[in-house]
Amino acid sequence: MDAIITGLGQGFATALAPLNLFLVLAGCFCGTLIGALPGIGPINGVAILLPIAYGFGLPPESAIILLAGIYYGAEYGGRISSILLNVPGDAGAVMTTLDGNPMAKKGEAGRALSLSAIASFVGGTFAVVLLTAFGPALASYAVTFSPSDYVALMVFAFASLASLVGSNPVKTLFGAVIGLILASVGIDANTGVERYTFGVPDILAGIDFLVVVIGLFGMAELITLVEHQAAGTLKALKIDKSFVSMSDLMRVKWTILRSAIIGFFIGILPGTGASVASAVAYGTEKRVAKDGHLLGTGDIRGLAAPEAANNAAAGGAMVPMLTLGIPGSGTTAILLGALLLFNVTPGPLMFTQRPEIAWGLIASMYIGNIALIIINLPLVGLFARMLTIPQQYLTPLIGVLAFIGVYSVVSNPHDLFMITALGVFGWIMRKLNYSLAPVILGFVLGSLFEDNLRRALSISGGDWLILVESWNAVVLYVLAILVVVLPILASRRRASALAEGDSPATQA
Amino acid sequence: MVDRLFAGVLFLVALGYTYIAFTAIKAPFQYDPLGPESWPQLLGIVALLCSGYLFARPEVASFGLKLPTWGRLAILVVLLFGYAELFRPAGFIVATFAFCSLLSLMLGARILPALGFGAATGVVGFFLCTRVLELNLPAGVFAAYL
Repeated sequence: MDAIITGLGQGFATALAPLNLFLVLAGCFCGTLIGALPGIGPINGVAILLPIAYGFGLPPESAIILLAGIYYGAEYGGRISSILLNVPGDAGAVMTTLDGNPMAKKGEAGRALSLSAIASFVGGTFAVVLLTAFGPALASYAVTFSPSDYVALMVFAFASLASLVGSNPVKTLFGAVIGLILASVGIDANTGVERYTFGVPDILAGIDFLVVVIGLFGMAELITLVEHQAAGTLKALKIDKSFVSMSDLMRVKWTILRSAIIGFFIGILPGTGASVASAVAYGTEKRVAKDGHLLGTGDIRGLAAPEAANNAAAGGAMVPMLTLGIPGSGTTAILLGALLLFNVTPGPLMFTQRPEIAWGLIASMYIGNIALIIINLPLVGLFARMLTIPQQYLTPLIGVLAFIGVYSVVSNPHDLFMITALGVFGWIMRKLNYSLAPVILGFVLGSLFEDNLRRALSISGGDWLILVESWNAVVLYVLAILVVVLPILASRRRASALAEGDSPATQA
Repeated sequence: MVDRLFAGVLFLVALGYTYIAFTAIKAPFQYDPLGPESWPQLLGIVALLCSGYLFARPEVASFGLKLPTWGRLAILVVLLFGYAELFRPAGFIVATFAFCSLLSLMLGARILPALGFGAATGVVGFFLCTRVLELNLPAGVFAAYL
């Protein structure tokens, strides 16, 4: 406990330094703006702004504080376009549209926006408190992990990814493999052998993380925006003067608490993040409520649940990133890559070796959450005005930002072609229902996975049994199997229950 | 159909990747039991299985886009490649002016605002990035003056 208080104190000392405080506020503000834009979610926002943050030449703790601010700012801002436009910024904000937009249509946009801001605040803060309480303990436990335990952890990460993200598990797995394949390009660190470089000097050191992120997310986003524009223009609903009342808050207090707990724990699972969390929280509310059929018609519980859950999930996703070095979501995978760009190795040792980064980030999340609610309640009108910026000017700017980002950091014109090609590839993947988050997760985890597997087998002299020799590993493999098998069993049970319900005997 | 086509292309790529893993990647001295080739071999096989499965059981029949949308997307990709081509030789200001003006025109802006927007983005963007943020951007044709 003392260690937590000391660490948190040190973290606040870092986060409250004038530069870092400014960066938290700037990150939250810009993140909310980005999140408010229709179609651009946290993952694209962080991807587009990452190289700019890198280009500033900030110390690593400041850069990560800025990027994290953008992350939860965007998670916050996503509700604005969901409620006023009925267009979710990303998958995590989809559930918010179900009750948020009907409320706005009923003339309660102000009430919906203020309630969702408070639900987001509670969900986000709850997650940071749990992160503070359990993060360091988990990290000190993770320090004891051997290479073979890490292999088991990776297997668990990819297993939970395959069963929880996207509609088709094979496509999700394939996405992760594509990421792993991209990560295998370059010189093998252990033997110095070139792999898949085809004599091109630009990729001897591997494909640059920034190029993959900007291409797959930033450029694919640009193409998607142009595609949507061809389909027709969007009309935003106006904000009225209504505001959330105390009785509203009393009515949803348990909803928010339940959803925050669900969101945090789903956020911890590698690869899942806000979309699954908000869907599960919404589904739970629908089941728990006696009048569950009202959800979806503009019910405040249906709005509070996904908002609390997706912000709690954003905090939860930080847990495996900070303690194990394994991202909990696509966006934290980008943050993890950003740390690697700064030569900081995320993982259990970060709390002891780089406490200013680990604790500084946690402390900045407390400040960020407070800043977000303070700037969001009065300034929501300003953010909503973002929705009225003509798309014909906004869209080209995304392309320019992506080009500036890649060129200013890598300074290689070949990369500009590469991001464009990856953008087309990413757009096709999106159209064909592949989820892009597994690709980036595979890309970030690729070398970690391979290194640990090779290290484990080196230790055992090639005996594969080492992979199942420790209890940690066995438990993780069992969990991995459960994560894959349980959803299949559940859907079978549902299907057979449906079939029984349809049978003539029960109908009679 | 498009799903199958995409999976088919990826299958061929995975085939090439796996072939290289089994034939070309060799370490002169091996320090660990796996070596540099085993990991790509493993990934290649999983990629072949996944793409083979998706080829056999595709789920998306078509992109569902109308011809004009395809036209716009094709123009966008051409503009992006042109932007990449011009970026260094012509410089940020000229390339950005051309890209922003043309793209905003295509998206429905009127000609004068589009030109103004392109020029403003190029000039303001250049000075903001190079002078204020100290980022590296090519000056191109204006190299002698900037």
